[in-house]
Amino acid sequence: MTGVSTSAATLPVASTGRVHAAVKPVLWLALGLLAIEVLVMALEIRPYYLPRPSAIAANIMATPGAYLAGLWRTFLETALGFVAGSLFGVLMAVIFHRWVTLRELFFPLFVVSQTIPVIAFGAVVVLWFGNTLFAKAVISFYISFLPVTVNTLLGFSSVDPRQVQLMRSFGANDVQILRRLYLPAALPQLFVALKLASSLALVGAIVGEWFGDTTGLGVLLLQAMYNENVVGIWATIVVSACLGMGLYSLVSLAERKIVFWGGEQ
Amino acid sequence: MTQGTMALSDEGSRGAAADATGLIDRLGFSSGKVTMSTNVKLEAVEPAVTGEGEKPLIELRNVSKTFGAVKALSDLEVSIRPGELVTVVGPSGCGKSTLFNILAGLEEPDPGNVLRLKGVSSTASDLLGKVSFMPQRDLLLPWRNVIDNAILALEIEGMPRSEARRQAMEMLPEFGLAGFEAQYPNQLSGGMRQRVALMRTFLFKRDLMLLDEPFGALDALTRTMMQRWLLDVWQKHKRTVLFITHDVDEAIFLGDRVLVMTARPGRIKLEQVVDLPRPRKADIVTSPEFIALKKTLLEAIEEESMKSFQVSGH
Ligand SMILES: Nc1ncnc2c1ncn2[C@@H]1O[C@H](COP(=O)(O)OP(=O)(O)O)[C@@H](O)[C@H]1O
Ligand SMILES: [Mg+2]
Repeated sequence: MTGVSTSAATLPVASTGRVHAAVKPVLWLALGLLAIEVLVMALEIRPYYLPRPSAIAANIMATPGAYLAGLWRTFLETALGFVAGSLFGVLMAVIFHRWVTLRELFFPLFVVSQTIPVIAFGAVVVLWFGNTLFAKAVISFYISFLPVTVNTLLGFSSVDPRQVQLMRSFGANDVQILRRLYLPAALPQLFVALKLASSLALVGAIVGEWFGDTTGLGVLLLQAMYNENVVGIWATIVVSACLGMGLYSLVSLAERKIVFWGGEQ
Repeated sequence: MTQGTMALSDEGSRGAAADATGLIDRLGFSSGKVTMSTNVKLEAVEPAVTGEGEKPLIELRNVSKTFGAVKALSDLEVSIRPGELVTVVGPSGCGKSTLFNILAGLEEPDPGNVLRLKGVSSTASDLLGKVSFMPQRDLLLPWRNVIDNAILALEIEGMPRSEARRQAMEMLPEFGLAGFEAQYPNQLSGGMRQRVALMRTFLFKRDLMLLDEPFGALDALTRTMMQRWLLDVWQKHKRTVLFITHDVDEAIFLGDRVLVMTARPGRIKLEQVVDLPRPRKADIVTSPEFIALKKTLLEAIEEESMKSFQVSGH
């Protein structure tokens, strides 16, 4: 080995910026909360409009079990719907990519299906599947798969046809080309959709719970509203926001690990 | 050499110096003590020395190709013997890449053609997977590192990854890529990317190797280094190579024969044997024999370029 190898091995790998990037948003959040706290007190805003952040925190701390149970339940519904929707979305993209006739026949139907408001659809799903976790997951699934299909197809279409020809010249079959070329090439676009789908799936789960359930963040939200428990409403919003951000960060983290090449091609 | 004149060095300029030093380094010790790795099968073992009577490795006759209203190739005849390095020059758009696509099995020529691989009559699609083809662009996969890009064809053949990687690792130093195995394409210079693509082509061990302007996008310095390096590697591996270029110096420096194609529709206008001794040194380009060959070829190419210019200039 010559100098060439050493120079290659010592190429810099960024790491010091990581910690900094993780701490900064937390600091900003703390500062923001403090500012709201001060403002609410200074302007004497009534809790009916906006409770103090400390009051919201106290509310959560008073009955953490209820919030945790709700969080867990809604998380399960969302995760189930999201994972199923993503897998189904990619599968449909592969099918539509492979069989163009099927795409021409069914893709418009897919798009039309999304124009049915999820609220209207939710009632039917709960009628069909009852007040189960599964019913909520179905609603999450229903509103999250289409962006995945659309973006995966977009990613497929970005593949250089000369690249496909090269693989063919190596004697590759369709499955090999799909696995080694189309699917990886679609990853950057796919992750854009997955981030959107994770938020949509959460909306689906919460809305689904409004059609009747006993646990979940959606249920907590409804109960707080009926009881005019304003602090409770805000507490649920905060917990839901945490769940949404958590899911989004999880997908973003996976994106950074998986799509390390930055999709510049 | 004056090869830089037509080079479009969009990506080539990056890291040219580093390339050159890496290669000089390599050439320095590859000439002496590098032993051929055992895994390199020598399919084209019979060297061209066995003479003229030898059976061609591949033979094309009456090959035409029409794209809609465009006739890209017309009654093309080519015959390549095992172990030969044949270069192809011609005006741009004359159908050189189309010829390669046919040989790689990617395009079917118009009916009525004769296409024989080792004497066996075949259709173009029979050639899929039988020829190692390097297209005009490197087409490296950005999510695969150097090693995994190099083994793409082997993987498709069904070789286990670990075995394929082992073979590729052994070849790295020869391609001036030692220590770069874990780098990704976006971390490499144009010259290095091209060498990874070449390595991918070399690892896909087939009797016939098609290289479509492999050095076309490199700057002059890197390109000269790459040509010498290619000759070096070719002589060791004894592959049959068909090499497209738009650079006459390159065509003569590398080739056993130079085929000049006509303007569209492409045919072989001139077949020029290059009887310069091998191994060829860089200064051969200033020898009278070289210059005489260059004159003949340039005249033929000029004539065709004028034609294609007039046709497209209407
Ligand atoms: N797939 C295709 N469809 C239509 N026309 C094509 C296709 N491939 C090549 N051609 C045409 O055939 C001619 C020869 O192209 P090509 O073989 O790429 O030329 P070269 O490589 O010699 O520059 C060009 O005029 C080009 O436009
Ligand atoms: Mg071309």
